[in-house]
Amino acid sequence: MIVMSNQAGISDEDFQKFREFFYRKTGMLFEQSKRYFVDKRVLERMIATDNPTFRSYFAMLRFQASGAELQTLINLMTVNETYFFREEYQFRCLVDSMLAEIVARRTSTEPIRIWSVPSSSGEEPYGIAIYLLEHWPPLKQWDVEIISSDIDTQILHRAKQGLYSERAVQHVPEPLLKKYFRHVGTQYQIRQTLREAVEFTQVNVTESADMRSHRHFDVIFCRNLLIYFDDLSRKTTAESFYDALNPGGFICLGHSEAMSRISPLFQIRRFPNAIVYQKPLEAR
Amino acid sequence: MALKKGKPTPSSDVPGERQQARDRDGLLQALQADDAMTRRWAARDLAAHSEAAAALVGQLRRECENSVRQVILTSLTQIGNDTAIQGLIDCLYLEDAMLRNAAIEVLKELPDQVAPFMGKLLQDPDPDVRIFAVDVLESLRHPHVEEWLIEVISQDPHVNVCATAVDLLGEVGSEQAKAALISLKQRFADEPYIQFASDLALKRIEAE
Repeated sequence: MIVMSNQAGISDEDFQKFREFFYRKTGMLFEQSKRYFVDKRVLERMIATDNPTFRSYFAMLRFQASGAELQTLINLMTVNETYFFREEYQFRCLVDSMLAEIVARRTSTEPIRIWSVPSSSGEEPYGIAIYLLEHWPPLKQWDVEIISSDIDTQILHRAKQGLYSERAVQHVPEPLLKKYFRHVGTQYQIRQTLREAVEFTQVNVTESADMRSHRHFDVIFCRNLLIYFDDLSRKTTAESFYDALNPGGFICLGHSEAMSRISPLFQIRRFPNAIVYQKPLEAR
Repeated sequence: MALKKGKPTPSSDVPGERQQARDRDGLLQALQADDAMTRRWAARDLAAHSEAAAALVGQLRRECENSVRQVILTSLTQIGNDTAIQGLIDCLYLEDAMLRNAAIEVLKELPDQVAPFMGKLLQDPDPDVRIFAVDVLESLRHPHVEEWLIEVISQDPHVNVCATAVDLLGEVGSEQAKAALISLKQRFADEPYIQFASDLALKRIEAE
């Protein structure tokens, strides 16, 4: 193991260089206040990759053909703290209001498509699946597809495994816990039928090529992701979501986020349980 | 019917806008397409081609679909070169208020790129354009904002331009603006609004 000397530290100039590069690649912008968080992870990776200086590590990050190290660093920099039924009122709004509108104007039996991004470790997409099974009786007449995406490949692997701590399932009522999870040691695992019902994909929402392959959604959940972006990345992402949605499709943001501050493309919809944003029905 | 495993792109999808090549020439061609989604995707992907700024500006002025305009504006923000900035500045002369305001919003986001153009813009013969330039300064994060505003209130002959600038100086002004505010009051001694706004700005500066 390499012992990091002061010489191997990260200077202010290195930090600036790194944050600009990382922003270009991911849309995530780290302010000076996040310096400790960033430095700690970069130094960890410098040790793990046997790079004694920031300069050599940065060169590897930039020029490695496989991009594997950049992906590892992205995995470390993303925050994956969530739990089942977080901001549950939006799920209530989904089953009580949004889906009713979607099926009312549906002229075919095409599946209803829901996109949950970022997936984190899967609490949101599986939570949506449970909510539909429990609270949306028309599921008997309609197929629903849930796609869930994240930039972090490790977290996608965890999401597919569907293993959760007690803390992650603390808001899941006991009967649902019994019905949709099984005990695995001290953890809870989502039952296989649900794991098989959700499709997980890797997506960088600021990458046009990634976004172009995610299309025809009726509802997008994108909660507490855009807060990590700067204004421009927020706007480009919102505009890509616009093209990922069907006309009349809905987008749900986190409670502290407002589409009206990001892009004028969406209409605000005030439902009894939540405020969400809608791509105009007449959109072309 | 039930939960069903789906794909990011459903099998029923018709490639549509993706039929065009994604190189610059293909994208420039797609920017002229009849379908709005094709134009949006072309505009979005052209953000990676800084030399496409002129074509994007041209399309921005012709475009009637708001969603495409928004994407073009975002791409021009990303490109942020002189052609993009000049194209956005040219929008300040248009009758189309929506486009003009959108251009102002984008220019506010590009302080370093806009700075070299600001001196000329504040000297524009059209007082409306000078007012729009002051509007850009409103949230331009640039160290020269106060300096530009002082210059406006010291030299601009038009009362409405000065009134817009003095309002903003009430928010961002410091000690160095005091002398210019006092002489503005003398220059427009018969304009009650200038008297009121200058006094307010002076009061705020003194309170700090």
